[in-house]
Amino acid sequence: MKKLVSAPALFIGAGVFLITGLMLAFWYSPVDSSSMGFSQKIFYYHVPIAETALVAFGIAFVAAIAYLRTQDLKWDRLSYVSVRLGLLFSILVMLTGMIWGKAAWDTWWAWEPRLTTFLLVCFLYAAYWVLRSVVDEEQRRATYAAVFAIIAFINVPITFFATRFLPEGLHPVVISAGGTGMEGSMFVSFFISMIGMTLLLVALTRRDLAIENLKDRVTDLKTSLGG
Amino acid sequence: MTIEEGVKYVAAAYAIILAVLVIYYFMSARRVTALQRDVQLLEDEAKRLQTPVGEAGAE
Repeated sequence: MKKLVSAPALFIGAGVFLITGLMLAFWYSPVDSSSMGFSQKIFYYHVPIAETALVAFGIAFVAAIAYLRTQDLKWDRLSYVSVRLGLLFSILVMLTGMIWGKAAWDTWWAWEPRLTTFLLVCFLYAAYWVLRSVVDEEQRRATYAAVFAIIAFINVPITFFATRFLPEGLHPVVISAGGTGMEGSMFVSFFISMIGMTLLLVALTRRDLAIENLKDRVTDLKTSLGG
Repeated sequence: MTIEEGVKYVAAAYAIILAVLVIYYFMSARRVTALQRDVQLLEDEAKRLQTPVGEAGAE
């Protein structure tokens, strides 16, 4: 039973990095000199959350392939949990992005490449949930969900590269092959927040997997007891 | 944008992030605890049903 529970150390580690990143963002990194000014401080959590969401969808993609190869339901559970967390992080990205958009561009929403493709990602993975809810049989549900997770992932690299392929949008390209495009102190704050958010994703994935395993155990026990 | 103008947007963004993550953390922790309790109860019930009546009475 103990093995099923997430290690508290991961949550503590995530908390330490996230709080440190936040403190550095406000007390170490300078206020942005562009027109964004103080609202640029949203960047230090907004971008790590966005990248973590895309990583979660990447894990769902890999787990979906692993399920189709092995038919082992543990991969289906990992894919399902990753999509759930990816969606949670995506909703946070959308909300904080809208707030930042209002502050920086004076608009809550714009149909520009990054925002539009990210919204499409959210809708696709929301549809993944709907798909799971309408199929009762476990193996068939897992197979359909895996195929859908693989197809839905096609939009993830499109979202990531949208600002690079279509630079006329509002989103600036901050991190590229040529460098980070930000001051050293800004990058340190960003990088620490990025580590914290990644650790949080790992910790939440472990805990959510524990929940799914426990739910399966409850179902098995109820079945064996005849109820 | 000045600090005075930007602070309400920054505060709102971080408040949403932290509130959602903290609520999710505690909700998932409660879910684990509740499910562990359910598993324990069901395992106890399964053990009780497997134990022959005479043995259970002797205990």
